[in-house]
Amino acid sequence: MNYIKQLIFITLFSVCCCINVAYGNSIAFNKEQLTKVKVENKGKQWLMLLWSVDCPPCFKELAIIQKLKNKYDDLPVVIINTDADDESVEERKAVINKFELNHLTNLHFVDGKADQSRFLIDPQWYGELPRSYFIEKNGQFHGKSGLVNKVILTQWLLP
Amino acid sequence: MSTFLYRVSSVILFSLTIFMVSENVAAEQNSKLKGPKAGQMQNCEEATIICAKTATSAFAPNGDLWRVWVQNYRLYFQISKDNGANFSSAKRVDIAQEEISARNESRPKIAFDGFQGVYLSWTTPKEEKYTADVRFSYSSDYGKTFTQPITVNNDNLVTGHRFNELLVNNEGDISIVWLDARLAYQLRLEGKPVNGSALFLGKANFRKDDTVFSNEQLANNTCVCCRIAMDYNAQDELAIFWRHIYGDNIREFALLTVEQGTNAQQAPYQISHDLWKINGCPHQGGGISVNENNRYHMVWFNQGQVGKGIFYAWSDDQGKTLSTPISVGDQMAQAAHPHLNSNGHNVDIVWTQFTGTEHQLWHQRSTDDGKTFTAAQLLATATEGADRPFIIKKEANSYVSWHRSKQGHLVRAL
Repeated sequence: MNYIKQLIFITLFSVCCCINVAYGNSIAFNKEQLTKVKVENKGKQWLMLLWSVDCPPCFKELAIIQKLKNKYDDLPVVIINTDADDESVEERKAVINKFELNHLTNLHFVDGKADQSRFLIDPQWYGELPRSYFIEKNGQFHGKSGLVNKVILTQWLLP
Repeated sequence: MSTFLYRVSSVILFSLTIFMVSENVAAEQNSKLKGPKAGQMQNCEEATIICAKTATSAFAPNGDLWRVWVQNYRLYFQISKDNGANFSSAKRVDIAQEEISARNESRPKIAFDGFQGVYLSWTTPKEEKYTADVRFSYSSDYGKTFTQPITVNNDNLVTGHRFNELLVNNEGDISIVWLDARLAYQLRLEGKPVNGSALFLGKANFRKDDTVFSNEQLANNTCVCCRIAMDYNAQDELAIFWRHIYGDNIREFALLTVEQGTNAQQAPYQISHDLWKINGCPHQGGGISVNENNRYHMVWFNQGQVGKGIFYAWSDDQGKTLSTPISVGDQMAQAAHPHLNSNGHNVDIVWTQFTGTEHQLWHQRSTDDGKTFTAAQLLATATEGADRPFIIKKEANSYVSWHRSKQGHLVRAL
C-alpha cells in the first residue's frame, strides 16, 4: 500500500516537473495566444517585451528583466521573440537560457509570420527593437521603442 | 532493506521514464511549431531559391541576370538570359561550407567587373554573439570556379564586422564597406562607454594581384543593425549612406563621399533630421543612387518626432544641401523598406506595405530628376512573408527584385 502511495506521489511530482518544463518552452505566437496572455494578466500592471537575436540592445533589457526576476518571483512579464525564423530557434533558446528567463511566459513569432504577428500586437509598430509595452491594470497598452532603463522597468514591475 | 531499495529504484526509474517521455513530447510539440524547418529538410534538399530567406540579384555587364541565395549553409546562384523569366539550374559556389548571414538586413552581395570576373561577399557569424567576419570570394571565369574565401577585416578580433556592401568597377577595383566593432571592442576592454560601431572601407583588386584588403575607418558611431547603401558618383568616387548615431541616440542618416586630395570631405553630412531617438535597432537601412549629372538621390525610413515614414530627397552638392524631403508611401499601411535607383532623369522608388494579412510591393517613378512623382502603383503581393525589395539596373532600365518566402523570387521591369 505504501508502495502505491509512493508511486502516486512521485508520478504527480514528475507530472508537475514536466508541466514546468513544457511551460518553459516558447509558445508559437498567434491571435489566440495574445488573447490568452492578456486574459492571464487581466487586472495586473504588466510588461510585454519583444526582442530579437539580431538586436544587441534587446539583450540589455533582457538582462534587466533577469535581475528583477531574481527579486520578484511572479514578475508580470511576457517575453516575445520576433525573429520568425526557424533557423534561429537554437539561438533564441540559448539567449533565454542565458538570461534564465525560461520560467516567464515566452512566445515567438512563427517563421514567415513576423509582420502578421507584429500587426496583431500593434499596427503602428514597424518592428524596431527592443519594443516594450507597458500594460495598465485596465488593459491599456503603451508602446515604447528602444531600451528602457532599469529605473522605469523597476517602477513599473515592482510598484 | 533490499525490497525498500528495489521500490525506491523502481519509483525513480518510473519517474524518469515519465519525465523523459514528457520531455520528448514537449520537444516534439516544439518541433511541430517549427514545422517549416522540418518541411524544409524534406522539400528543400534540392537547391531552390524558394527555400531562401533572401535573394540578391544583379545584372552582369553582358546582360545576364544573376541571383544568389543561401541554403543549408551554402551559397547558390542561377543565371537568367531573359531578365528573370527563366533561370539556369542552380549551381553551388564551390567553397567550403560556412555559416552565412542571410535574413532581414543581411544577405550576400554580388558584383562584376568587365573581364568575366564575379565577386561575392558575405558575413559569417562567429562563436560569440554579434561577432562576425566579412568574407570574400572571386571568380575570374564567370562563376566556373571561385577562390577560397578570405576574411576582409584584418583585426583578427572576435567582434562585429557585419552588414557588408560591395561595389566593383569595370577594372576590378573592389570596394567593400561594413560596420566594424573593433574600436568598440577596445573601448570595452578599457572600461569605457561604447555606442555604435564604425564604418570601414576595404579595397583590393584581384585582377592586379592586389589581394589583401585595406581596412580604413571612415566614420565612427554608426547604428549597429541597419544595412549600408553605396553607389559610385559621377567621378567614380564612393558615395556611402548609412544610419548614424547623433547625440543622445538620435538615429539619422549620414552621407559621405570618399574623395581624394586636400579638399576631400572629412566628416559625413547629416541627411535626415527626423529626430528619431531610439536606443535600439530600427533594422531599416536607406538607399542611394547617383545619376550621370552627379545628383544624389536618397531614400530612407524614420520614426522620429519630426518625421515618420519613408522620405525621398536629392542633393546636387554631395549632401551639403538637400531638397525638401518628400513623404513616400502610406504611413498608415506600414510603408517601409524603401529602395531606389536613378537612370538619367528617371528615379524609381519601391517599398513594401502591409495590410495585416498581405505584403504589398509599391512603386513610384519620377521622370524629372525627382521633382515630381507619378501616383504610387501596386506591383505585387505576398502572403507568407516578404524580403526587402531592391531595384537593379540593366543599362538604362530598372528592374525590381523582390523575394517572397515560400512563394518565389519576383523580377520585373519597372
